Amino acid sequence: MSTLLNKRLARSLWRTKLRLVAVVLMVFVGVFAGITFGGYAHNLGGMYETMQADDDGGANLADLWIDNRSATWSPGQVDAFCDSLASEFGSNPAALFSLDSCEGRTVTQGTMFHTNGTGGHLINSFWHGIPGDANADRVWMPEGHSIGRTAAAADEIVIDAHVTEALEIELGDTVNISAGNTSASFTVVGTGYHPLHVMMAPEGTLFPPESGQYVVGYLSDTGMARLTGHAVGTSNTIVLDVEGTPSYDLPDTPEYEGEEIDVLKGIVDASLSATELDARVRDRGQNEPVEVMRQDLEGTKRTTVPFTVMIASIASITIVLSLQRLVQSQAKEIAVLRTLGVKRSSLMTGYLVAPLVIGGIGCALGALAGPWGMNGMLDFYQDLVGMPIIVRTIPSSIYLTVIGSTMCVVFLSGAFPAWKASRLDPLEVLSGQNEMRVGSNLLRKLTSWMPTTLGLSIRSSVRKPIRLTMTFIAVGISLMLFGSIQMMSAGLEETMVGGLENDQSWDAQVYIMPDGEQPVFDWAENNSANYEMLIEMPLGSVADADDIERTFTLVGIDSFESGMRAVSLLDGKAPSGNMAVTQVVMEEGSMRFLEWNVGEQQTVHINGAPHDVEIVGTATAELARTMYFLRGDLSEILGVNATSIYLEFPEGVEVDSALGEVSTGVVKRQTLLDGINSLLDQQTQIFQTMMYLGLLFTIVVMFNTMIMNVAERDFELATLRVLGASTRSLGLMLLFESLLIGLIGGIVGVLFAYGGAVGLAASFSSWQFFVPVTIVPSVAWQLMTGVILIAVAMTPFGIWRLRRMDLVEKVKDLSS
Amino acid sequence: MSLLQMNDLQRHYQTPAGTVKALDGINLEIQEGERVILLGPSGSGKTTLLNCLSALDSPTNGMYMFQGTEVPRSHSEKMTSFRRENIGYVFQFFNLLQDLTVLENIHLIQELAGKKDPVRAKELLKLVGLEAEINRFPGEISGGQQQRVAIARSIAKRPTLLLGDELTGNLDTETSNKVMEALVHACEQENITAVFVTHDEGLVKYATRVIRIDSGKIISDQKVDSSDEEA
Repeated sequence: MSTLLNKRLARSLWRTKLRLVAVVLMVFVGVFAGITFGGYAHNLGGMYETMQADDDGGANLADLWIDNRSATWSPGQVDAFCDSLASEFGSNPAALFSLDSCEGRTVTQGTMFHTNGTGGHLINSFWHGIPGDANADRVWMPEGHSIGRTAAAADEIVIDAHVTEALEIELGDTVNISAGNTSASFTVVGTGYHPLHVMMAPEGTLFPPESGQYVVGYLSDTGMARLTGHAVGTSNTIVLDVEGTPSYDLPDTPEYEGEEIDVLKGIVDASLSATELDARVRDRGQNEPVEVMRQDLEGTKRTTVPFTVMIASIASITIVLSLQRLVQSQAKEIAVLRTLGVKRSSLMTGYLVAPLVIGGIGCALGALAGPWGMNGMLDFYQDLVGMPIIVRTIPSSIYLTVIGSTMCVVFLSGAFPAWKASRLDPLEVLSGQNEMRVGSNLLRKLTSWMPTTLGLSIRSSVRKPIRLTMTFIAVGISLMLFGSIQMMSAGLEETMVGGLENDQSWDAQVYIMPDGEQPVFDWAENNSANYEMLIEMPLGSVADADDIERTFTLVGIDSFESGMRAVSLLDGKAPSGNMAVTQVVMEEGSMRFLEWNVGEQQTVHINGAPHDVEIVGTATAELARTMYFLRGDLSEILGVNATSIYLEFPEGVEVDSALGEVSTGVVKRQTLLDGINSLLDQQTQIFQTMMYLGLLFTIVVMFNTMIMNVAERDFELATLRVLGASTRSLGLMLLFESLLIGLIGGIVGVLFAYGGAVGLAASFSSWQFFVPVTIVPSVAWQLMTGVILIAVAMTPFGIWRLRRMDLVEKVKDLSS
Repeated sequence: MSLLQMNDLQRHYQTPAGTVKALDGINLEIQEGERVILLGPSGSGKTTLLNCLSALDSPTNGMYMFQGTEVPRSHSEKMTSFRRENIGYVFQFFNLLQDLTVLENIHLIQELAGKKDPVRAKELLKLVGLEAEINRFPGEISGGQQQRVAIARSIAKRPTLLLGDELTGNLDTETSNKVMEALVHACEQENITAVFVTHDEGLVKYATRVIRIDSGKIISDQKVDSSDEEA
């Protein structure tokens, strides 16, 4: 008997193929998204673990960097420090970790002279000198994703793989590079990667220039000695690695996690004092290139959760609505079977199995397609960061979690209404009494003044308030995907590009050593270029409300309004110079995080020393936290006139080798803009995928609900057709209903989109990386119009149903 | 004067088992003001005849003239238009719209026919004895009351011909009598010709003519007078 009953159920469900396919599709989408995003988040972390592993396959990442870029430590000094450190480690009981490596390095900014089809170019660069027996960090040369070998001889170099393609550099090529006033030629023996250069951007900037506009190269220690003219083993950096990974403070969390690294830093400080070396000590959280990529990774992983939850919610709501409707339409059949004496338990078997089968098919399809989706996303991230993601796995826990939760939703959505239907009184169902209801007096009063046809449309629309609410929630979530990303992208673009493009007029930023500005002035005057000094140093710090030290960049400019780097003020005024308390302007992100206000006096640390400042204005948000000074004031505090010079070129003047030789690096504004735009374009691609996914979901959800609404009105519509209502008049009723649902859905969508944008921006934002949200009216209108259009576009479906209604058959149904 | 004429009307259906002759040569003439009951066993063709009368269905062969004009038989919108202008319909299960009040159910039909007439709507409800229930929803009134509302609704647009299919099939005897009395009263007041299908021989007393159908043919056609009712 059960087999027959199940067969009946299967055939009955198969009669409503479209609805069945819609449910299977939604299950597939939910599982696909869950496995794609889950696998993506899982494997992203693996990318860094593989590269940073301290084994033959990895390059290791040091735990501490001790550096002084203007120092030149002899090999003896480095050895003395390392010996002192080893001794301290050995004798200090608080040292929880043992010292693994203490190695000297020279790292320096420089330039590459590159010639291609368009002529000769100076490319801003960075060089590492890494000994052959390096352990603390090494060049990463993963098999299949790098070529050649590490540099060993004094004339060999490994170029970072991020740029070799753009610059068309191959093994065996000769490159000419410089560092400060010295230059040399090297032979390319390999291409590889380095843990400190996942993001190919100059120090102090978050924006990677376009590929090929910034080069990193890895020389041997002898090669670096040859380039700089110093003795082999001379260093300006010491990298420390300990066994294991001591915890360090994460700048983007309110808690302080740096207890373990603090012990090590204490030991390092003691050794620095003992050996009289003057240096800054940075852990991984303070090493910008490392920390930025860690936060990028965490941010990316974090966003997968809300996206997965959103997609799963939309899928779940649609599954619940559709499956409930599917089963509720079986109510009469269930009643007939109960009348014939079929037991509830026999009946229910099929209704327990059916959702499992439906869910099983969707889950199987989703599980098959999930790895493909994950690989697509990983490929995208791989292209974005330019680093290979070698290990790609999906743990079974992800499959279990995603499939398990989906099957729960499907099972409950199908079994529960079936259980309810089986408990109905068969007599009530067969006599139609279970469908009798009393209308709403409130609605009646609200709509009594309208034409009855319009009033009926409104009352029909809200007949199933739970379904309508769930539909609006699903539409809202879908539009949250669509609209919030648009709003956030607008804010991101404004922050990243707006200021640089609209408020700044310099053509090149020339980095100099202290007191190295005169040669650049000379070059500028010889080339009729305008110039302006600038101080820009990441030497500011302040304790926030949770007593966590926050670092920020200090920028000193001569004019806030008319200089080459104008500052847009949201609030307050530009600083005045030579005041008793130094006046400053802080950018919006900092002001929000620190909860400061214009007019307040605050104490900040500049290069380690406390300093009182008065906040006189708020600048528009920047990605990096920045405090603006008048250059004269900042110069007095820091003791340098400038760290770089802005140049504005006349027509026909370009950066040349002469300029390169008098600088430690040159960055062109257009290069920066191109790089940012390129980055934004890449980010936009994945955002656009999300956006259009949101739009697709909106269409599917609304279509699904409106089909159900129209189908449930067959009875009413057939009655009215029999009574002589024209297709036109009924079509107008359906149109009005669609408009109403579209209007409400659009308003809900806009609200969700804005809320989602705020939430998304907050999840991305941290002290390091602030994302403002811009309410873009055009986006709001787009959402409203889009939803209304989608709803109205469903009307022809309703009219089509009307036209193809067999009234003769309907009259039989209506009279039975 | 004849309101409608059917000459050799046939309605055949093709089924896997062969051709079913639901109507097999119906010749029928109905005068204005008549109240006609169609009686017959299940499958006799009563409902098919009603469907053809209302232009819900198109005959396979034969002629159907209404007020001297041939009734459209192939164009859905023309057939709908014919129904809207000429036909009132009452269903077995009332088929009132649950979201509208009793009065609004009548307003709706008036609007769909062209123009709402609140005064007439109230008059019609008074005609069927439901003037006290105008603001109640169908779910709040009894089956008999709902059917009387359905009758009022069906004549709201002043149809020439009122049709009903088993309109007391869902009601008890006492309620059926009340409904039929309301129907007769409404037809007499509005000068409406009525044709209704039923199994119930007890409703003959409300008709002026009884037509019996079997196997798609009219087997008897008799006028009903007061002496027949008493008999």
